[in-house]
Amino acid sequence: MRHGNDGREGTGVNAVAQTGHRRLAVGRMAGDRRRVWPWRRTTLAALAVAACAAPFVLEPYRVFQLTMVLVYGIALLGLNLVVGHGGRVSLGHGAFLAIGAYIAAVMTGRLGVPYPLALPVAALVTFGLGLALGRPALRLSGPYLAVVTFVIAAVVPPVIKRFGTVTGGSMGLPVPVPSAPSWTGLAEDQWLYLLVLAVAAAAFAAARNLLESRAGRALTAVRENPHAAEILGVRPGSHRALAFGWSAMYAGVAGTLYAWVVGFVSPDSFTVTLSIVLLAAVVIGGPGSLAGPLLGAVFVTFVPAAAQRAGDALPGIVSGLLIIVVVCFAPTGLAGLLRMAAGGVARRLGRG
Amino acid sequence: MTLEIGGLTVRFGGVTALSEVDLTVRPGELVGLIGPNGAGKTTLFDCLTRRRDPVAGRMLFETGELGGLPPYEVAGRGIARTFQHLGLFPGLSVRENVMVGAHRHGRSGFGAAALRLARSRREEREIHRIADEVLERMGLLPLADHPAAHLPHGTLKRIEIARALAVRPRLLLLDEPISGLGQDEVAEIARLIRDAHFVSGAAIIVVEHHMEFVMGLCGRIVCLDSGRKIADGPPDRVSRDPAVIDACLGVAP
Repeated sequence: MRHGNDGREGTGVNAVAQTGHRRLAVGRMAGDRRRVWPWRRTTLAALAVAACAAPFVLEPYRVFQLTMVLVYGIALLGLNLVVGHGGRVSLGHGAFLAIGAYIAAVMTGRLGVPYPLALPVAALVTFGLGLALGRPALRLSGPYLAVVTFVIAAVVPPVIKRFGTVTGGSMGLPVPVPSAPSWTGLAEDQWLYLLVLAVAAAAFAAARNLLESRAGRALTAVRENPHAAEILGVRPGSHRALAFGWSAMYAGVAGTLYAWVVGFVSPDSFTVTLSIVLLAAVVIGGPGSLAGPLLGAVFVTFVPAAAQRAGDALPGIVSGLLIIVVVCFAPTGLAGLLRMAAGGVARRLGRG
Repeated sequence: MTLEIGGLTVRFGGVTALSEVDLTVRPGELVGLIGPNGAGKTTLFDCLTRRRDPVAGRMLFETGELGGLPPYEVAGRGIARTFQHLGLFPGLSVRENVMVGAHRHGRSGFGAAALRLARSRREEREIHRIADEVLERMGLLPLADHPAAHLPHGTLKRIEIARALAVRPRLLLLDEPISGLGQDEVAEIARLIRDAHFVSGAAIIVVEHHMEFVMGLCGRIVCLDSGRKIADGPPDRVSRDPAVIDACLGVAP
C-alpha cells in the first residue's frame, strides 16, 4: 500500500510540475480512478453471473418481471442516446416500441414467419423511420421538438386501430410465444429470459462501443457546443438524426421482444403515457450514463405497478414527484447516486 | 499564398462590421491582428470559419474559395480556431476534447463503431495517438482524463489550443488566447504558440489586445479599426503608426 501511495503522489507532483498549477487533487483523483477499476470489473462480472443464473433460481413470475426490466432497458438505452447524449427530448419513443411489437405480431402471428426474423425487420424499419423523422424534427429543439415527437406517439395507436384487418384493431393481436428448442430442456419463461438477455447484452455492448468512439464523442460534442463541434468537422444535423434513428431502432427491437414476452399486443399498451414514462425513466435512471437505462427500467417495471396497488391515480403522481425530486437533488439520476456511493465505499476501503 | 482575402464586407443590420478588408497570409506566417473592441477581428474569424456570411468579397484558402462552404467542412480544408470565450465540451474529458479535434482524421460512423469493426478500432487508435501527441506537447498529458471543466482558466485556454492543433491545421486562428491570464501564464502561452508554429508549420493569425504579447510573438501586425484595415506591416513600424496609436494604443505608449 505504501508503495502505491508514493506512486500516486508522484502523479500529483508531476501534474503540478507540468501544468504549473497547484492542482494536487487532480493527480490524486486520476490515481483513485485507476484504483477503482478492478472493483467495477468485479461488479460487472458478478452482475453477469447473477443475470445468467437468475431464471434457474427465481420463480416464473419474477423471471417474467426481470425479462421486462431487460426489455425496457433496451428501449431506454436507445432513448438515452437522444436524451442523455444528444441532449434532445423525445416524447415519441412509445410509437417505435409499438411498431416493433406489431411487426413481430403480424409477421409471426398472421404470416407465420419464423419468429427470429421479426427482430432484424423491426430493427431496420424503426431505424429507417427514426432517421426519416429525426432529420427534420431535430432541427427543432426544446418544446417544439417535444410537441413533434409527442404527435408521433399520439398518432400511432389510432392508426393501429384504423387498420384492424391487419392489426386486430382495438381488440389486439395474440403473438405466438417463442418456445424453447427441446434440446435445451428450458421452460418457456427461462428461454424467453435468456433470449432477451442475449439481445440486451448485445444492445448494451453496441451502445458502449458507440459512445466510446469518434461518433459518440461527436454526439456529446454537439450537445455541449454545436458551433465548436461543427467547426471541428462534426455535422450536428446528421449526428442528431443518426442518434435518433439508432434510438428508434433500439425501441423497435425492444417492441419485438415485448411482443414475444407478453404474447399479446394491443394499441392500449402503447399510449402516450408509455412515451412519457419512458422519458421519465431516462431522467430518473441517469441521463448520459450506461447504467442509467437499466436502473430506469427497474423503475418502469416496479414503481408504477407498486403505486397502482395503492391507488389508481398514484402511478402518475409518484412518477411526477420522483422526477421533481431527481431533477432537484440528483441531476445525474440513480446512476449518479450509485456512482457516488461506490466512490465513497472505494475511498473508505482504500483508506482502511 | 495560404490565405487571400479581398474586399471582404460584413454588415449586421445597419452596422458595417467589416468594410472591404484585404489580407494575404503566406504559408507559415505568424500574423497578429489587433484593434479596439468592435473593430471586426472576431467577425473576420467568423467569416473564415463560415459562421457568418459576408455580403461581398472573396476568401481564397490555398486553392479553394471558402465562401459558400458549410462550417463542418472548414476543418477538412485545414483551418482550425479557438474562441474568445472558450468553446470547450465540459462534459468530455480533456483527452476526449482533443480527440474531437482530430475528428476529421477518421471516417467510420455509428455502425462501424457499434460493431467495433477493425477499421473503426484502427481509426480510434490513430485519433488517440494524435490527441496524446498534442497533449504531451502542450503539457496536458497528466490531466488527460480530467473533465474539461473546473480547471484554471489558463489550462482551459491551453486545452482549446491543443484541440485546434489536433485538427492539424495549415491555418490556425487564435481568438484572444491570453485574455484573462496572469503574467507568467502569458509567457507560457507565447512559448506554446511559438512551439506549435515551429512544429506544425501552419500559418497562424492571433487576435489579441495585449500589445506587448502580440508585438513580441508575431512577425507581422495587421490593425483593424471600425471594420477597416488601417495598418499592415512589421511590429516596429505598426507600433509607431499614428493611426494605430490613436486607435489601439491610446496616447503615446
